[in-house]
Amino acid sequence: MTGTRILSWLVVLQVLGPAVALALVGLPPLLGLPARERGVTRAVGAGFAIALAAAAGSLAMLAARGFAPHHVHLGTWFHVGHHETTIDLVADALSIPYVCFSTGLCGLVNAFAGKYLHRETGFVRFFVLLALFGTGMNLLVLAGSIDVLFAGWECVGISSTLLIGFFHDRVAAATAALRAFVTYRVCDAGLLAAGVVLHAATGSGDFERAIAGSWPAGTCLLSPTTALVVALLLIFAALGKSGQVPFSGWLPRAMEGPTPSSAIFYGALSIHAGAYLLLRCEAILEAAPVAAWLLVAIGAGTAIHAALVGAVQTDLKGMLAYASMTQAGIILAEIGLGWRIVPLVHVVSHAILRSLQILRSPSALHDRHELAAALGGHPGADSGPLVRLLPERARTALYHVALERGYEESLVNRLVVEPVLVALHAAARGERRVVGWLSGDGPRREADR
Amino acid sequence: MNATDAILASLLAAIAVPAAGAVATRFTALQRSARAVAVVSAALAFFAACAAAWWWHQGDGGAIARGPVAAGGAALVFDGLTALALPYAALVWLAIVVAAPKRALDGESVPRLLAGEAATLALLATAHPGLLVLLWIASIVPTVLSLRATPGGLPAARAYGRAMAAAVVCLAVGCLLIVRDPPWRPGHGLVGDAGGWLVAVAVMLRKGVFPLHSWYPALYSSGAYGTALAATMAHTAGATAIRLLVGHADGVAAELVFLAQAALVTTAYGAALAVVQRDLRGLVGTLAMSQSALVLAGLAGRLPTELCGALAVWISAGLSLTGIGLVAWAIESRAGSVPLDSHPGRADDAPALALFFLLFGLATLGLPGTLSFVADDLIVSGALDEQFHAGLLVILATVLAGIALVRGWFAIFGGPARVDRPRHPILPRERVVFTALLAILVVLGLWPGPLVASLERIAGTLLESRHDAAPPSLTHGAPAP
Repeated sequence: MTGTRILSWLVVLQVLGPAVALALVGLPPLLGLPARERGVTRAVGAGFAIALAAAAGSLAMLAARGFAPHHVHLGTWFHVGHHETTIDLVADALSIPYVCFSTGLCGLVNAFAGKYLHRETGFVRFFVLLALFGTGMNLLVLAGSIDVLFAGWECVGISSTLLIGFFHDRVAAATAALRAFVTYRVCDAGLLAAGVVLHAATGSGDFERAIAGSWPAGTCLLSPTTALVVALLLIFAALGKSGQVPFSGWLPRAMEGPTPSSAIFYGALSIHAGAYLLLRCEAILEAAPVAAWLLVAIGAGTAIHAALVGAVQTDLKGMLAYASMTQAGIILAEIGLGWRIVPLVHVVSHAILRSLQILRSPSALHDRHELAAALGGHPGADSGPLVRLLPERARTALYHVALERGYEESLVNRLVVEPVLVALHAAARGERRVVGWLSGDGPRREADR
Repeated sequence: MNATDAILASLLAAIAVPAAGAVATRFTALQRSARAVAVVSAALAFFAACAAAWWWHQGDGGAIARGPVAAGGAALVFDGLTALALPYAALVWLAIVVAAPKRALDGESVPRLLAGEAATLALLATAHPGLLVLLWIASIVPTVLSLRATPGGLPAARAYGRAMAAAVVCLAVGCLLIVRDPPWRPGHGLVGDAGGWLVAVAVMLRKGVFPLHSWYPALYSSGAYGTALAATMAHTAGATAIRLLVGHADGVAAELVFLAQAALVTTAYGAALAVVQRDLRGLVGTLAMSQSALVLAGLAGRLPTELCGALAVWISAGLSLTGIGLVAWAIESRAGSVPLDSHPGRADDAPALALFFLLFGLATLGLPGTLSFVADDLIVSGALDEQFHAGLLVILATVLAGIALVRGWFAIFGGPARVDRPRHPILPRERVVFTALLAILVVLGLWPGPLVASLERIAGTLLESRHDAAPPSLTHGAPAP
């Protein structure tokens, strides 16, 4: 077997590992068969271990080749006329290090959650969703075409939603999950549309046809107008997943999910999926300076907004959610500035630190009590030096703005959500009247049902 | 016996078996074993339909036409459309009769259900305008009777009956005009055009296309799920549109384009309505209206991608919505009506049904690895390639349908569990049906190549027929009138 062939197999294994684990732990509940906790954690852990070993092997082989990108064409999934959907994976300086880190984190969270969720109702469900997330994440990262990336993106979104609503017996969790899903779904339309525009422009969704050269030195092959449209659509998609203004309302509520999933989704991987998407398509952003500057503005704005709001949070997970949002905003701004290695390093370091903090958060109260006992009193909260420079009235106003989360949600609700819902309810009422008239049941009676 | 004979024999068996089952359960002592007869008849019809489709795929892909011909349509036709739609419709019926709650299949309801199946399968295998009108009536009457027999179903029976009566009148007059002045002949006059438009209106009524759609949610609100699914999931109006409207001399007929635009609006509008429904029946009804209109939206496409997408949606939306409807039926048969504003926490007492509802929901909204992902990809690409606004409407509908489904899932299954409530385990026959439907959606989603190639061939035939200015049933070796 040649080195190229071995590398191809290793790349495929990075997706297959968690995918097979997903099938192994997902099928028994579907068929009504019981599943044992230990078996489930071992199966999912083995899937991640195989993927991690394959990623490490790929990294070594790539390094030996000077990080020249290696494309794995698994064939055409389906094609009709000129429309072709291919299964292409790519191993390069961006994807393989990212898989190493993301799969490693998934494996660690798998080990942690095996103990943390012991005897929890929905234990198996958690690991099924974790395996789905791992499969989706690796597919997203290794994608060589926007079609494959979209498939991974959707898996990440679905698993994220279902894990936010993991404790679905709590209405707050169900509401938070729905809110996250609505944001994802609206923003995913951007990625879907970007994929269609790419297909129309290049005849395929392959990144190779849109970007020449290897990451990080790629150049855009699209016309300036197409590049601008695709870049704006990709940014729109990334804003939802990364919890950026004006789509950030779902992120603090997402902490309703179990701690291990919060750590991996909103501290580490899911929140950076948007950043990864933009890093992968950095060359397209570079060819669309308007979009790039827009990204800088949104990223910087989100960072300021989240830092401000995070400062007044009274619960630890909420504080950590806003801290994640701040860093994600800075990372997007870095990408908008055209930097490539800095945001990648920032993503990895932030993800590792934040997931550790979130995983440790259940013990934080205990730690704080210990600290208070050692200090002989509670350590006081200290505002930053810049805030101390502000006059009292401005400080109070800023405090109110922060408490109201920058009025972001109320504005979105008032300007978008409420008018849409009012219109939809009016349409539904009208429908009931028409049905009443059609069925001879009387419009008033039908409308009142 | 050659392949053509085998196809025709299998086709006739697929139609005759449920018809015989309907007669047997209505007039003989088999009434007491109505459920068993229904399952056996539906299973035999399904296998016969699959056999016919298999034989057809082994051949050269040409259309087989037999019997009298009017306006270019033969009484008995087996072409790509039949090969796709016949096994699909038979599978929908089989799923309904196997998964239906016990009390829903008695000596009264089974004859109606099987008669409806026989009429629908026959309808999918004819292109003769006169027969199409008769079979429309034959497939509508059992639904009206079933609705009338359902407690509280009279208003829905009235709404459905009135809409369908108008549809049949439009179709009958339209067919008369089409026979007199076939609109695909060069130099056709206003009579042919009027006929085409009347057929389009009939299709809009039958399919529940905006603004003639209001009976659709009413049917799901008041009728049994089995009745509603059988009446809507076979896509008979789509098949009729292909038989009668495709093939105009001037390319795609204006009425077909209008139909497609209206269907696109229905797709988005239905999904939007689904977001604010107050009960499970309303949710399933509006989603079914939205997704099945998507089939019609792609049928007027000028690109194989869009047509292929429409045919893929035919199967994916049909099977996943059938699954959702059957799961909803199972929940309601155990726990009564399900509101969407109270978070009753059904996941605790019906965990398996919650799982299947979720999976069918994900299969409807385009989860990667399911057929709907492929179908959405094709139809969005085709629609955006052809008309930008069409693509945007499809994307909007996909977004809204997803939101409606996830909201529905959390509203039904989320909320505090109550320890004093009875548990509702899934029945083995329900598990078999749900798992089989899911397996089909997943297998075709993971390996869509053969299906898409087959759909492309069918789409090519439909597009060719437009370019050749001849109706589809005569394009591949059918005898001349």
